[in-house]
Amino acid sequence: MSIELNRRSFVNGAVAVAGAAAMSPLIAACGGGGSNSTTRRKGGTNSKKGAAAALPTYVASTAVQADIPSTTGAGSAVTDPGFLKYPANPAKSVSEIPGAGGSYTALTPLWGTIPAANNPFYQAVNKALGATLTMKPANGVTYDTTITTLTAARKLPDWVQLPGWWNSNFKVGELCGTQLADLTPYLAGDKVKKYPNLAAIPSGAWTAGMWQDKLYGIPSFSSGFGLPGQYFYRGDVFESKGINADDIKSCDDLLNLGKELTDAKGNVWAFDDLWPYIHEMFDFSQKFTVTGGKLVHKYEQPEFIEALNWCYKVAKSGYVHPDALAGNNNDAKTRFYAGKVLITADGTGAWNEADAQAGQAATKSYRRESFKPFSADGTKPPRLFLSSSAGEFSYLNAKLKPAQIEECLRIADYMAAPYGTAEYTLVNFGVEGVDYSHGANGPTPTKSGLANVQAQTFPFLATPVNVISNPDYPQLTRDRCAWNSEAAKYAYKPVFWNMNITVPQRYATADAGQAVEDTIKDVYHGIKPVSAFQDALSTWKGSGGGDALVQWYQTTVMDKLGTGQ
Amino acid sequence: MASTVAEQGEDERDKSGQPAGDGGAGRTAAGSVQPEVRRNWRVRLRRDKSLILMTLPAVALLLVFNYLPMVGTITAFQYYDPLDGIRNSEWAGFANFRQLFGDPLFWHAMENTLYISAVQLILFFPIPILLALLLNSVLNSRIRSIIQAITFLPHFYSWVLVVTLFQQMLGGAGLLNHFLRSHDMGTWDVMTDPHTFSLLVTSQVVWKDAGWGIIVFLAALSAIDQNLYEAAASDGAGRWRRMWHITLPGMRGVIVLMLVLRLGNALSVGFEQLLIQRYAVGHDAADVLDTFSFYYGIGTQNYSYGAAAGIFKSVISLLLIWGANKLAHRFGEDGLYRK
Repeated sequence: MSIELNRRSFVNGAVAVAGAAAMSPLIAACGGGGSNSTTRRKGGTNSKKGAAAALPTYVASTAVQADIPSTTGAGSAVTDPGFLKYPANPAKSVSEIPGAGGSYTALTPLWGTIPAANNPFYQAVNKALGATLTMKPANGVTYDTTITTLTAARKLPDWVQLPGWWNSNFKVGELCGTQLADLTPYLAGDKVKKYPNLAAIPSGAWTAGMWQDKLYGIPSFSSGFGLPGQYFYRGDVFESKGINADDIKSCDDLLNLGKELTDAKGNVWAFDDLWPYIHEMFDFSQKFTVTGGKLVHKYEQPEFIEALNWCYKVAKSGYVHPDALAGNNNDAKTRFYAGKVLITADGTGAWNEADAQAGQAATKSYRRESFKPFSADGTKPPRLFLSSSAGEFSYLNAKLKPAQIEECLRIADYMAAPYGTAEYTLVNFGVEGVDYSHGANGPTPTKSGLANVQAQTFPFLATPVNVISNPDYPQLTRDRCAWNSEAAKYAYKPVFWNMNITVPQRYATADAGQAVEDTIKDVYHGIKPVSAFQDALSTWKGSGGGDALVQWYQTTVMDKLGTGQ
Repeated sequence: MASTVAEQGEDERDKSGQPAGDGGAGRTAAGSVQPEVRRNWRVRLRRDKSLILMTLPAVALLLVFNYLPMVGTITAFQYYDPLDGIRNSEWAGFANFRQLFGDPLFWHAMENTLYISAVQLILFFPIPILLALLLNSVLNSRIRSIIQAITFLPHFYSWVLVVTLFQQMLGGAGLLNHFLRSHDMGTWDVMTDPHTFSLLVTSQVVWKDAGWGIIVFLAALSAIDQNLYEAAASDGAGRWRRMWHITLPGMRGVIVLMLVLRLGNALSVGFEQLLIQRYAVGHDAADVLDTFSFYYGIGTQNYSYGAAAGIFKSVISLLLIWGANKLAHRFGEDGLYRK
C-alpha cells in the first residue's frame, strides 16, 4: 500500500501516511546497509540532541480564533481546531509582500485535472507574492516516475514536493544536502520567528521533515493529532433501531451488535473489513514496542495474535459483507452509503462534508458517526498511536542562493497562513467574484474556481496546520471535534515516531513483510486459520530476514538514536 | 549448378565475394552473379516496397516498446533505486537471483502458474476449435453471425468488468447466493474458494475469450476447398468422415501454430484477472509468476527482485517456444515459420 500514490490514499490523508508508516516508519538512512552501501547511504538518522538543535521554535498563531479550540490530550497530542463557518472578515497574517521579484519553478503532485498554465488565479497569487512562481503540477498517480527521472538527471526544479510515504523506501535522505537545500541555517530555533506562520506548524511535523539532524522538508497538511483511522457506524440507522453506540465497550459487545444488525436475506451486513485499525482495540504497536530495552516487532506481540484470532472469528461469523471478504475494498464506501454495511473502518479524513453529501445522495437520512475508542476486553483504557505529523513535504533546490532560499521561505510563510486569513482565502479560494462568491456559510467556488483553484497546487508547498471545517454541516464539525478530544486522551507516540529511517536494500523484503501481510489478509478474510500466520511468521523471522531486520533496527537505530519519544 | 548456387547461397557469397564453386566457370559466374544479387535485392525491395512500408510502423512500435525497455533488465543485477536511476544504482551481481531461487513463494508461484496453464490448456484450448466447427456447421448465415457476435463481444470487456460480472452473479452477495439464501438453501462461495480457483479462472477465460479465439479457426475452415467436401460426399462419406478426413487435416496447421504460441506463453496465465481476485481466494491460490513480480518486486519497491523474476520467466518462455517450434517442425508442420 505504501506505493499507492492515488487520490484515495491522499484524500484519506492520514491513512496513506499512517499506512506507509505502519509498515515502515519514516526515518533517514543509517549507515550499515549492504556491502558497500555504508558509504552510499549518507549519515545517520536524527539524534535526539541534534534534532533538538535544528528544530524550529513553535509559536502558536493568534491570527484567527477557532469556534472550537484545540484540546491537548495524552502523548502531547493537540487536536485540530474546529470552525463552524468560514470567518466572515478574513484577517491579514502577512504584513509585507513576501517576494523580491524572483522567479521559481515548483513541481507538485495533483490527483485531478491539471489547471491551465499561467491562468488568472496563478497570476493573482503571483501578484500578491511579488514573485513569479511557475506551478508545474504533475499527475499524482505517476508522480514517482516524474520525480525519479529528474533526480537521476539531477534536474530537480527550484521547489519540489516529495510525499512522506516515499521516505522509507526511496533514498530521499541521499538527496538531502546533495540536491535538496539544508534549511537549518534559516529556520532552526528562534530563527523561524521571522516566518510566524511557519513557526505555527507543530514541532512533530518539522521533525518528520528532518534528515541527519538537519531540516530539509517544509511540511504540508500537518496535524497535532493524526490517527491512522477509526471505526464508523451509520448514525441514522442506529438511531432508528434505538441502538446507543456508547454502549459498545468491548469487542464482545461489537460482535453481539453484529449479530443483531446482520440481515443477510435483506442484503444487510453489520461489518465491512474491521482489520485495518484493529490495533486501536487490541493495542499492538505501529511496528515496534520496547520491552525490557529490546525492540519487539508487532508480529510477535501477543495482542497481534489475539486481534487476528478475533478478526478470523468475525470473518467466519457471517456478519461481514461477502464482497469485503472477497477483497473488494473499493466499493466499501458505496456499501456503507447504501446501508448494505452498517459498521466500517475508514481513515479519519473520511468524516467530512463531501462524504455527507455523497452519502445523502444514496440514502437521504445518511449520517456517519464514530464509536468512541474502546479496548478489546473493555476493562483497560484503549491506546491509540499517533501517525506521522505530516504526510507531504516540499523541498528547495540546493542550487538556490541564500537570498533566494529566504525569498522562498517568505513565500512558504504566506502559503502557511492560518485557516480563515486573507492569505489563506486567496491561496485556497482565489479571487472573490472570479474564483468564488460569498455564500451563506463561506466562499463558494465558481466554475473558474473549480478548475483553477480547487485542483490544489500551492498547498503542496506549505499549509497551515489542519482544521476541521464543514461550513454546510456544522454539526458534523462539532461531532468530529468532540470525538477527537475524547480520543486524544488515549494517544501515545509510537516507537520511532516522526523519524525518517530508510531501510537498507538487503532488509527491504523483510521490512515489507509481504508474505506475512498476505497471510494476515487470508486470515482476516477467513481463508486460512491463525496457525497459517504463525507459520508465515516463523519463516519471516528465519529465512525471511525478520530477526536480522529487528536486530538492525535495534543496533543501528534505537541504540544510537533513540525511539523518537 | 550455377543457378542453384545463385538461389541458395546468397549469404555466403555476400561475405566472401566468391561463389561456392571453383574453377574458371565459377569465376565468370562470380563476375556476373555479384551485380545480379545486388539487382535482385533492389528488385525485391522495389517489389515489396508497399509491404515493407506497411510493416514499418509495427517494427517501430516493437523497437520502442519491446526492445528499448530491455535496457531496463540491467536493474535485475542491481539494487535499483529509482531516485538514483540505472546509472547510479549499486550493483548486486546475481544476489537477486540467488534470493529468488531460494524463495519458496517464488517456486509456489511457479507451481501455480504451471498448474493454471495446464488446466487452461486442457479446458480452454479445445473450446474455440469446437465452437468454430459448430458454427461452421450452422448453415443459416444470419444465425451464425448472431452467435458469433454474442460470443465475440466479451473479449472487449476489461478483466475488472468480467470479474465484477462474475462477482455480481456468483459472489457471496450476488444473484445466485441471494436466491439460495432467501430459499434457505445455504450458500455456494465459488468466488472465494481457493480449491476451485483454477476452474473459476478458466471458466472466466472461456466466457471472455472463446469467441475471440474462434476467428482464426474459422479463417482456416473457410480456406478448405469446398470441392473436397462435394467429392467426398459423392463418394459416400458421411458427416463425421468428412470432418475427420477433410476439416481436421485442413485445420491442423493452424491448430499446431496456436498450440506452439500457447506453449510459448505457458508462463503467462493472465495478470489483472488474478490480481483482482487475489484477496478473494488468498495469495496461496492466486499468486503466479506475474503477480509474484508485482507484489514482491514492485509492490514492495524491490524493483530489482521483480525484474529478476521477470527475466527468469522470459528465459523459460523463450526456451518453451523454441522447443515447441522444434517439435512442430519435427511433425512436419510450419510452426512459427516455414523451415
